[in-house]
Order: sequence, then C-alpha cells, then structure tokens
Amino acid sequence: MPELRTPLLSVENLTIAFGGLVAVRDFSIAVAPGTIHALIGPNGAGKSTTFNCISRLYRPNAGRILFDGQDITRLPSSAMAGLGIARSFQNLELFNELTVYENILIGAHCHCGASLRDRLSARPPHLAAEIDRIIERTGLGAYRETKACNLDFGHQKLLELARALAIRPRLLLLDEPAAGLRNREIAILDGLLTDLARRDGLTILLVEHVMQLVMSISDRVTVLNFGTKIAEGTPQEVKSNPAVVEAYLGKETALHG
Amino acid sequence: MDKDLILLFLQQGIVSGMVVGSVYALLALSIVMIFKTSEVPNFAQGEIFMAAGYCALFLLVFQATPVWLAVPLTLVVAFAGAALFRRVVLTQVSRASGSPVNLVIATLGLSYVLKGLVRRTGFGDTPRSFPALVSTDGVMIGQASITRLDVAIFLTALAVMAFLFCLFAYTKVGRAMRAVGMNPKAARLMGVDLQRIHMLVWGLSAVVSAIAALLISPKILMTAEMGGIVTMAFAAAIVGGFTSLPGAVVGGFVIGIAENLVGLFISSRAIVVAPFVAIMLVLIVRPQGLFGGRVAIKKV
Repeated sequence: MPELRTPLLSVENLTIAFGGLVAVRDFSIAVAPGTIHALIGPNGAGKSTTFNCISRLYRPNAGRILFDGQDITRLPSSAMAGLGIARSFQNLELFNELTVYENILIGAHCHCGASLRDRLSARPPHLAAEIDRIIERTGLGAYRETKACNLDFGHQKLLELARALAIRPRLLLLDEPAAGLRNREIAILDGLLTDLARRDGLTILLVEHVMQLVMSISDRVTVLNFGTKIAEGTPQEVKSNPAVVEAYLGKETALHG
Repeated sequence: MDKDLILLFLQQGIVSGMVVGSVYALLALSIVMIFKTSEVPNFAQGEIFMAAGYCALFLLVFQATPVWLAVPLTLVVAFAGAALFRRVVLTQVSRASGSPVNLVIATLGLSYVLKGLVRRTGFGDTPRSFPALVSTDGVMIGQASITRLDVAIFLTALAVMAFLFCLFAYTKVGRAMRAVGMNPKAARLMGVDLQRIHMLVWGLSAVVSAIAALLISPKILMTAEMGGIVTMAFAAAIVGGFTSLPGAVVGGFVIGIAENLVGLFISSRAIVVAPFVAIMLVLIVRPQGLFGGRVAIKKV
C-alpha cells in the first residue's frame, strides 16, 4: 500500500493570492513515492498555480512545501534540479534555437561534471549513453539534430518530458503533458509514464484534462475547484463523487445525470 | 573617375574597412552578448571600452608596466568591474523595479560614472596617444596599403571571435549562456544559476570591449569621449539583427567597409552618415536585420 509510506512531496496549507484574488486556498496534498498522482479540476481551478509554487516560480502567501522531509518553500527555483525535481510546462518552455540533443543536455546541466575536461566538452561522453536512452524512450530518435522550434507540437511536448528526465528526477511535475496530443501520442505517453513510475520508481504529479489518460495511469486523483480541494481518492472514487461531477458538469446536469 | 582609380579605391576601402570593421564587430559582439541574456542594450559599452583603454594607458605609459603584465591586468580589471556592476547595481535595480527601462537608465549612469572617473584622474584632459605594440610599417594587400598594426588588429579580432564561437558552441558554460538567452525561466529550472551566468556574460563582454580598445587605441587619439565609437557598434548590431552573434560580426564588417567606401568615393565628411544609411537600407529590405531570424507573428 503506497499510501501508507511517507510522502515524497507534501504540500501543507498552501495559500496564494494575486492582489485580491485568492488562486489557491489552504490546499494540502501528499504524494507517495513511486506513485502517479493526478491533479485535476476545471480551468482556473489553481492547478498550474500550485505547480508554480512547488517548482518555486511563485512564492506562496502561506503554507509549506516539503520534499523528502526537507522544507523547500524558500529555496530558489535553480535549486530544484539539484534536489531531483523536474517539471514540464503547459505552454512549452523549450530552448527553441537549440537542437533536441542540446535541449536534453541542458536538462543534464547538473550532471555535466565539474572537471575541466567535462566543462570543455560539447557532448560530455559520460552522459552519451544516458541521453541516447532518454531519446529512445521518448521516441525522438529521428530528430536528434532538429532544432526544437522546428518540431511539431507533439514532439515538442515529448522533448519537454525528455529534458525533464535528463535532470534524473525523483519527482516529475507534468503540466498537461497530453494537451494537444493525438490519440496515438497519448497512448505512447500513457505507456511511458506508467513505465517511469513502475519500473524506474519515479514519483509523478500531473495536471491533466485528458480524462482517459488520468483514469488509466493514476494511483490517486485530487480534484481542485476555485482554489480548494473538493475531492481525493482513487480514480474510481473520484469519478463517482457527486461534488466532482457537479464541478465539471454543473449542478442541474449532475442531478439528471 | 577612371577604372583604375575605382579599382584602387574599392580595394583600399574594403581592406581598411575590414580592419576597422573587425573592431566594430568586437564591440557589437559585446553589446549583443549582453542584450541576448539581459534584454538590456548596454549604453555604457562605449565607456567600458574607453575606461579599459585608459586603464591600459595608465599601466603601460605612466606605470611603465611591461606589456605581458599590463594587457592581462587590463582585461582582469574590465571583467571584474563589469561583473560587479551586474551583480551589485543591476540586481538591485531589477529587484526594485522589473522594468527594463530602469536597467537601461542604470547603464547610462555607468557611462557617466566611467567618463567622470577618467576625467577625475586627469588623464582624460588632453588627447593622448597610445603606444603601438606592433610596428606601423606599411604592408600592401593587392593595391591597398595598410600597416602591420592593421594586420595584427584584424587577426587578433578574428582570434577573439573564434574563441567566442568555441566558447558558446562547445563548452558547458557557453551552452548555459545560450540557454539563458533563449529561456531564462526554463534554464533556472534546469539548475543554471542565472546570477552567475549574468555576471560571466557581463565580464566577458567587458573583456571583449577591452580587447577592442587595446587594438584600436594606437590608431586614434584617446580622449574621454572616444567611447562614441560605440555608435558604429550599435549600427553593426542593428544591421546584424541585434540578437545574432554572427550577425554582429557581419554587421561590423558591413559598417566598416561602408564607412571607408563612402569616405573614398564621396567625401570624408560624409563618413558619419554612412552607418545610418547602411542601417536604413538593411531595415528597409530586411526589417529583422540580416541575421535576425523570422519576424515573430503572435497569435491574438
């Protein structure tokens, strides 16, 4: 039972407001190691804001963020990679003029080595095998030397994931990895994420609107609406929760449905 | 004008233009390097160039420091000064207000501070001449006549460009610099220390400007106003697209050659206009500059 283990990531009573607008209110979540945990909710529910707090791009007004027992609430975002926290973005944040290989190499920035020979190496040899494997797993083999801006959207999404993997993360934060992907690509993503969690023991927290993916891969699902948590449980539990149905479909529809 | 004279002027204009253009290119590189990572046009670049020139002059002439020591010392001072300015002043300014305008004003402030400092020392009161480190004997290239010093200027500038290219293309820190220029938010999440990269870029940019000063100073009279040459470097950067390093190099040569051809064929009094005519022509034909990439189309 993974739920009983100490959480790898726990967010406690997080509150963040922009001016008078409270985007997230008193939100807590515990992500158990080795599990896939989905954060869902209607648009504007505060999911990406929560992500930005965890990856230290926003400073929360109140609450704590613990990673592996360590309080990371006040750490700079440049410390995240070193801790083993990687993320992808809803709207892509790639290095557009760099090739696929170089993008992944920047992801491995912390592992490039500090010796003079490693520093002066365009492609550090000790990372070659690892990067090759990441490229192969994410299906980017045909595009190694393609500039990121010349990839189609689906492959750009996969490149963000590949770059995040190069960080050698223990926790992977994925903001809508399946948005804009075709069914075939979603199937690849489904297999890859499951594989990463089950085989490599990665912990994944994802925000996602594609329910087919969420229901298929998640161990647990947390539902956010208007900045507060309205439900949490296994995919089956959440699916049949009346509050969730109401949040997604509206009250009247819920009564008839 | 007969054909032989035209041919002679063309050769002389292009060769002299390449020499002075290589110095413009170095200054344009220092401007573009900072602009790409900090999004700030550094209006103090000319004064960094000038102050480095005076630092070398002070060491070589007034302290009689040997060349092998004076040159590295000048570069170290330039690096440290610029890195410190980025770390102490610009970090504070951007913390106080995110607006890039304030950063630009801060660079203007630096330019006045440096000019004031040079005047304060008294060295900037009268025009001074910088000792040539290479002989000024004549050399013929085709029919064009230049000096050994000119050849040394050109070759040194090329070597600096090659060094920069290798740094950006083949090293870990160069890769991180390029990543910061493209997407600072993502670079930070990959563990790149933005503060450190910014300091390194500013330091490196100042070193390149200092080299430009060491190269060109023997050919001009040094005054506290010599930083005005940076206008040509800005012109070169704009011609090249302002965000492209190869563009800055090509832009430098274009401006240098245009200046010399105009001086020879039209009038030496028309030289000051030449870079701006070049800018206008390039911007009419390619609004994004020669190497500026595609014009961004934003979805609304």
